Amino acid sequence: MANVFTIIVFAFIGGGGRYLIGQTLPVVAGFPWVTILINLLGSGVLAWLSHAKRLTAHWPEALTVGLGVGGVGAFTTFSTFSVEAVRLLLHQQWLLALSYVLLTVIGGALCSLLGVWIARRWWTFRVTEQ
Amino acid sequence: MMAAIAGLGATVGALGRYEMTRWVQARRGNRWPLATLLINWLGSLLLGLLTGWQLNHVTLVLLGTGMLGGFTTYSTFSHEVVMLADQRRYGAMAGYLALSVLGGLLLAAAGLWLGWLLR
Repeated sequence: MANVFTIIVFAFIGGGGRYLIGQTLPVVAGFPWVTILINLLGSGVLAWLSHAKRLTAHWPEALTVGLGVGGVGAFTTFSTFSVEAVRLLLHQQWLLALSYVLLTVIGGALCSLLGVWIARRWWTFRVTEQ
Repeated sequence: MMAAIAGLGATVGALGRYEMTRWVQARRGNRWPLATLLINWLGSLLLGLLTGWQLNHVTLVLLGTGMLGGFTTYSTFSHEVVMLADQRRYGAMAGYLALSVLGGLLLAAAGLWLGWLLR
């Protein structure tokens, strides 16, 4: 029940924030770079949050679930990515469509990897020798 | 104001994702990220449909940007891809990645087409 509450609170911020960023940042040459930015940023943060156990172990579980599932989960979006890619394809912008998909997929994986690496480097529990 | 409408839709979407993930994982386990795949597929189809249908702006922000944007998720997808690679399950990783991206594109296109029919 606590999870439901924190998911509602953070998803409101994440989803509203995604809309605001989309309204604030300019569209350049019909290329949806704002969605790339949002999805890459969120991928890094979620990966970090999922592995930063030394930090999250001190919080209530509902806060970690709320931030991850609600906040970052609602901030990033797969459906907009799919629809925008199809739109570029329908407008026969082959190179833009390919760049969009590759930048999102490879960039998202790299950001996620970076988030895991940073969390494992500085925010994870280590087995200490007696 | 519109940001709050998007946020409101996102709360419904994120809760739907949370419950659907738990439902799928209770039945199929979480060794392979089936829940996220189904969520992102369903969301891509429905967002395509809403976009093609050309509903009014407020409805699109509430249900499209907000609810379906919050229902589907890219961050979990990326993280699951990286974790499959971390476990050296490269075949599962490639399959998950290809099914998510190609399936998402096909379903979004199908949704747009259905939306055009409904217009």
